[in-house]
This record gives sequence, structure tokens and C-alpha cells, in this order.
Amino acid sequence: MRHPVRNAAVMIVIAMMLGGVTAAHAQKRGGALRVAYGNEIAGLDFHVTAGYEMIWVATNVGCGLLSITPEGKFIPDAAESWQISPDGLLYTFKLRNKVVFHDGTKVDAAAVKFNIDRIMDPATRSSVRTFYEAVHSVEVVDPLTVQIRLKHPYAFMLHMLAAYRMGLVLYSPAAIQKYSPEDRRAGKPEATISCGPFRLVEWVKGNQLVMDRFDKYFEPGLPYLDRVTIRTIKDPVTQMAAFKAGEIDFLVDFSVDHVDTLKAQNPNAQIMTGKETTPMVAMMKVTVPADGKPMSKNRAPHPIFSDLRVRKALGCYGIDRKEIVKLAFKGQATPWLGIIPPGTQDTVDVTSLCPYDPAKAKALLAEAGYGPQKPLTFELLTNTEKAVFNVIATVIKEQVARLGVTANIRLVDKVSWLNTATQDGPFDMYVEDLASLLVVDQNAYLAASTAAWNSARHTDTKVDDYFARYARELDPVKRKAIAKEFQEFSVENLYWNTISGSPFYQVAQPWMKGYTYQAEFKVIYKKVWLDR
Amino acid sequence: MRIYILRRLVAVVPTILMITLVVFVMMRSIPGDPVVALLGDAFTEEDAAKVRQEYGLDKPILAQYGLWLAKLAQGDWGTSILSGRPVLKDVLVRLPVTLELIVLSMAVALAIAIPAAIIGALRQNTWADYSATTVAMIGVSIPEFFAGVLLLLMFSVALHGTLPSSGWVYLPGTCPMVVCTGSVWANMMHVLMPAIALGIGRAALLTRLLRASMLEVIRTEYITTARAKGLAEKPVVLKHALKNALIPTVTVMGLQVGFLIGGAIVVETLFAMPGLGTFGIDAIIARDYQQVQGFALITAFAFVIINLIVDLTYSLLDPRIRYA
Repeated sequence: MRHPVRNAAVMIVIAMMLGGVTAAHAQKRGGALRVAYGNEIAGLDFHVTAGYEMIWVATNVGCGLLSITPEGKFIPDAAESWQISPDGLLYTFKLRNKVVFHDGTKVDAAAVKFNIDRIMDPATRSSVRTFYEAVHSVEVVDPLTVQIRLKHPYAFMLHMLAAYRMGLVLYSPAAIQKYSPEDRRAGKPEATISCGPFRLVEWVKGNQLVMDRFDKYFEPGLPYLDRVTIRTIKDPVTQMAAFKAGEIDFLVDFSVDHVDTLKAQNPNAQIMTGKETTPMVAMMKVTVPADGKPMSKNRAPHPIFSDLRVRKALGCYGIDRKEIVKLAFKGQATPWLGIIPPGTQDTVDVTSLCPYDPAKAKALLAEAGYGPQKPLTFELLTNTEKAVFNVIATVIKEQVARLGVTANIRLVDKVSWLNTATQDGPFDMYVEDLASLLVVDQNAYLAASTAAWNSARHTDTKVDDYFARYARELDPVKRKAIAKEFQEFSVENLYWNTISGSPFYQVAQPWMKGYTYQAEFKVIYKKVWLDR
Repeated sequence: MRIYILRRLVAVVPTILMITLVVFVMMRSIPGDPVVALLGDAFTEEDAAKVRQEYGLDKPILAQYGLWLAKLAQGDWGTSILSGRPVLKDVLVRLPVTLELIVLSMAVALAIAIPAAIIGALRQNTWADYSATTVAMIGVSIPEFFAGVLLLLMFSVALHGTLPSSGWVYLPGTCPMVVCTGSVWANMMHVLMPAIALGIGRAALLTRLLRASMLEVIRTEYITTARAKGLAEKPVVLKHALKNALIPTVTVMGLQVGFLIGGAIVVETLFAMPGLGTFGIDAIIARDYQQVQGFALITAFAFVIINLIVDLTYSLLDPRIRYA
């Protein structure tokens, strides 16, 4: 029992899920669920807009071909079945017969083709286009049969369609053609037409988002709720007050710092957490633009962290991950290393390859030419989005000070961080938690040398080879072996420096039933009902 | 009077233009690019260049400002780069919330300040005066967010939701949304804590100011004359002394509007209110230039209009003041 509090919380989730199963006959229909987000929804074009808040709307307004359970089992959505050709190059989906969009038009093979083509069209500027790299073409076989042809085998095609970001979301082609991208981004209800259990009624930014039950939803009897209302409460103190006062039924993302307080105030609250699928990283920059132009392909070594000895001295032996977790997360996270977090499929615990060893760290620094005569100073970039980033940066500063290294913390707002970290701006190391990852493959868009978000700006094509080998290997056993090799390679080179998992918490009132926790990936209300 | 108002309104135009220009230049001078946030991980230099072109962000700053002004002259406040929503529409949705908050917080401030100042002035150097002065000092020292958190913990947590912790309910007939229930009672319940949190600091300041004015006025000869003529103390204080003592207080009240708008950002964020304060701060954090301009324009306009109204109230308080 390394993490008693987290384990207890996981037990609560499991008990709750079992409870949901046994109480399956008692679901009550009707009522409005009041939901609070911790951040504002940025926009509502499901194919384009970034951000989890949008995803958690898309998973209710949208439907796709298939979905995935927390156990990793694929389940039908608008497609009732699917087949994969023996060579793994052809995916054939058979659609359900009576699935309709919220505007009454049919969800058919042409609509599926329209949507995937739209995502793949560079003019759409889709944030999920990168995931469709393996797709060669989409063909309509008959109105209820659609085929996706791949350029090469891709073991994670179903994962991608089911859950990368929110998975494939089907829009009504009629609505897409009639309304502008701005209308969809602005969440105009008549432009935001999909086939999910809820239809968008209105979104008034900064005020509320309302979705109502879609009566023609293809799963009989679902959803149970009449309405879901979402508003944003940014301050955790206000979130707790609203929850305590019963003004809110469900807090979708709750700050780990305040879990204990909320638990003490609300002994009956359902506090849900699970596998850590988001990595908390202390990313070190490996190269810089040789010509001074950010994102330039002409690269030069980073003056400090291009040296593997320095990366290993600080990132491997010089950082005490256990201490960071204890101080920053009150022990409610897992110290971790490697290219994917502890809750991601095919993850391997390679943390033991980097034991905290200040003496070894000092020796490596000396070997790299740093010491009392030439002290090492670097800039540690962090941002104001979450308080925990600052705590981690401060602990790292203290830890590297023990090695005689000075870390100057630069605290910026989220947008400045985004511009600096992802756009090849000047930084040495940054602290941040990155995207929630279902499988190793999903990290390619953040960690491959060609990825726009390769914030370390490493140029090692071996990383790309690992990603490609892993994604194209159809044998799960061989794939697992590649994943292990890849994660060991990652520790050896530290292009990616994980500190720990980043725990995710959701909190529900005792009367909210039927909800299944799926971390950041999916927030689905179709089986939720209110017992009051 | 009409000519005076017209002249003041005309004089407002260059002031507002200057404010919007300064904000425009400042926003573009600080680090951060909204295009990066807009494109997310789909970011490519080519797409970024296209988006910058679409929004005119590739042009020189002054040219961008000129474009913004030209559109503004046609009633187009622009579109939020990030959400794609028309800025004017969002401003109009949020303006009533902040106006109500500011007006009520000023009412809270006056409701506390006037009696406290009168008691303090009439009973100078007694326990009542010392109490009023001490409370005023404490009020000035408490920041809005701290007062807000205290109120929140008291009324929403300890007293089990006596007052709602967050959100907003519109007054009947004013709701700009499709799904909405307007209610005067619920509106008052929602605005009470934020108005107290925002008003308490102003109350303290106005108490000190008004007390000093009252002390000055009640020592003047016309007050002595009024008392010598046998007028009751109540009309002497409320009708003759307070009216004159209020003039400097009203001036300060007008200037305090700027602080109230600043305080509204904090209070609205704490109480999750859909007002202009949260609109402005979200826009600045996201570098949503169009939205920031909308915020600057409306707050600058509100500030100068409120100060114009304040100036006009002088003649109500002192009939000798005439505008020409």
C-alpha cells in the first residue's frame, strides 16, 4: 500500500461502479444535472477546438463509430459491428439502421466519409488530423457500410476512433455545409449538430452551457436525464462551497490540493479517481534554433541540456521524485519516469533505472565540466495554470541546489508558457502536466522528432522509429516488448523527463448515480440518473 | 445643461480613443500569441500565418488599430479569436451583471458609510466615533477576495447555503439566454455577498471621508444659525449638513468606479459570476485581443459616463451649482 489514500479512492470508484450495476433496475428518469468545470470552454468545434472542457461536451453531444470502456473493451456506438482485414489495412464498419443526427438527417456511410475527409483536409485545421496519418481513404460501400483503408497497418486505429481526444465525432454534413466554422466554434446550437444522447441547447460563454435529452437517441431509454447544465467555477474554494451547499451535482475536474478538505466537509461525496494517465514532466530542451528563428529546422545543441550527462545528472539522479510527490501531491501520485504515465496501456515502470543519487549526479556534472569553478545555472519555466506546478518547480530548485546547481524559476501565465514551450521559445526546463494518454502511440504527437509539440526539440529519429514500430506491430506481445524497449531507451536518453503521474479527481453528490469514471478521456452522462 | 452634457460627451471621445489605443499597443507588446492557443497541437507555421492574415494580425500594430476603429465605427466590435463569438454580443450579456454589482456595492458602501460618518461626526471623540473609525480602518485593510472568501465560508458553507455561493440569476425580463429563470429574490440572493465583498472597502473609505466633511460642515455658521432658529436636529443634520458634506464624497464615489471595476474582476472570479470582470480577465489571460478591446472600450465608457452622472448630481446637492 504505497498510496493508501489513492488506493482507498480507487476502491470507492470500484464500489461505486459495482453499486451502479446492482442498482440497475432503480434508475429514475428526468431531472437536470448541474455540472461545474474548473476552466472555461474554449470553443465548440469538436474537430478543431482544443481543451478537455470541449471534449467533455463532445462526448455527450457527439456520437462516433465506436467507444471504449475503462477496461479497454471496444463497444459499438453508431456502428453496430466492425471487421478488420487480416493484413490490418481495411476496416469495415456496419452502421446501425436508425441513427439520426439532431437535425433529423441520417447517420449513414456518406456522413462518416464526409466527417473523416473533413478532419483530414488541411483546410479544416483539425487538431486531430495528425491521428489520421495512417488513413489512405474512406469508401462508402452502401448506405450502412463504410470502409476505411489504411496506408500501412495501424494497431491503434480503433483506439484512435474511440478515444484519441474524444474519438471520432460525427457532425451532420447538412449542418456543416450550412454553417460557418465560426458558428461551430461559437457553439451555435443549429451548427453544432451531432448524434449523441444530448443535443446542445445553448452555450453562453462565461455563463452556462445547456444540453437537453435527444429523444431520438438510438439507444432505447437513454439518456435518463432531461437536461445537463454546465457552468464554470474556477476557484476551488467556491467549488467546494457550491458543492457543500448542494448547488452543484458534479465537479468534473477537482484540484488534488483540496480533496482532503472536501472529503472532510462532505463525508458522503463520491470522490472518484483512478489510473494516472497524464504525465507530470520536467522537460529539458535539447536543441535550439541555430539561426535564432523559432521552429527552424536548422538546429544547434542546447547550451546546457544537449549534454546527456547533464540531462541524466539533473533529470535522472538529481531529482528525488518521491519527495516531489510527497510535497506537491501529498503522496497521492506515483513517482514515475519514462515516456508514458503509470496508467497508460503498455506502460513499464522504469523508475528504478533512475534512483535518487546526488553523489552520482554531482559526478556526472563534474564530468560535464560543472562544479564550484563553473557553477551550473538554468532557467526553470512554469506557469500559473495549476498551483502544483509551482510547488514542483520550487522543490526541484531546492533539490538541484543540493548539487550546487541554481535553478531560476520563471513563472508565466498559461499562454506565455504555451508560446515559449511549444513554439521553440527560449527555456531550459519547464514543469507542466501534459495530455492524458490512452496508449504509447498517442504520445507520438507530443514526443516524435517531427511533432509540432516536440517541446524538447530533440532530433533523434530513433524515437520516431520506436513510435512507428510500436504502432504498426499487430501482435500485442511483440508490441509490449517494443514498448518496454522504447521506455528503457527513453530513460537512457531523457528526451522526455517524467516526474510522476498527475492525479485526476472528480466529485459527485451521493444522489448522482450511474456515472462511470473514465479519467479525462470521457465524461459521459447518458447513463447518469438522479436519486433524490 | 444639455449643451454641457453634449460638450462632455464629445470630450469623452478622445479620452476613450486614447485608452483603447494604449490597451491595444500594450496587449500586442506583451508575450503570447492567441493563434498558438487557437490552433493547439494542430499548429503549423503555414496555418498560423493564414490565421494571422484572417484576423489581420500580420499587419503593423497601428494599421490593426485603424482596422479595429473602422469596424467599430460600423458597429462591429469584432469577433473573439478563440471562441468565434461576436464581442459586442458577449459584452451586452455581461454588462448588466457588472453594472448591478457595482451599483449595489456602492449602495452597500453608502448604507454603511452615511450612518457611520454621521454618528462619528456628531459624537466626535466618543466610543461611537472611535468604533466607526476603527471599523473603517479594518474595512479599508480587508481586500475584496478575503472578504469574499469569509462571506462564502460563513453563508454558503457554515450556514448551509443560506446564500448561493456562485453563479447568477437575472432580473425578470433581462435574461439574455434561452434557458433562464428570472427572479428578483434569487437575483438579490446571488448579488448580496459579492456586493458586500466589493462594497465593504469602499464603505470604509467613504466613512472616513464623509466624517471629515461632516465635521467641517457642522461647524459652519449656517448650521449654527439653523440650530439657533430652533430647527430640530434631524433636519439640520440630514437636510442642511449632510447634503453639503456629500459633495466631496460624491466626487470620490465617481473616481471609485475605476476601483470597483478592478475589484469586480476579483469578486466575479471568486463568485463565478458571468460579468465583465471575468470576461476581461479571461480575455487578457488568453490574449484574445478583440475581447480585450471590447472590455477596455466598455469599461472606459462606463467610467466616463458614471463620472459625468456624478458631476451632474452636484446641482442636485447644491442648487447654486449651474452648468452652462
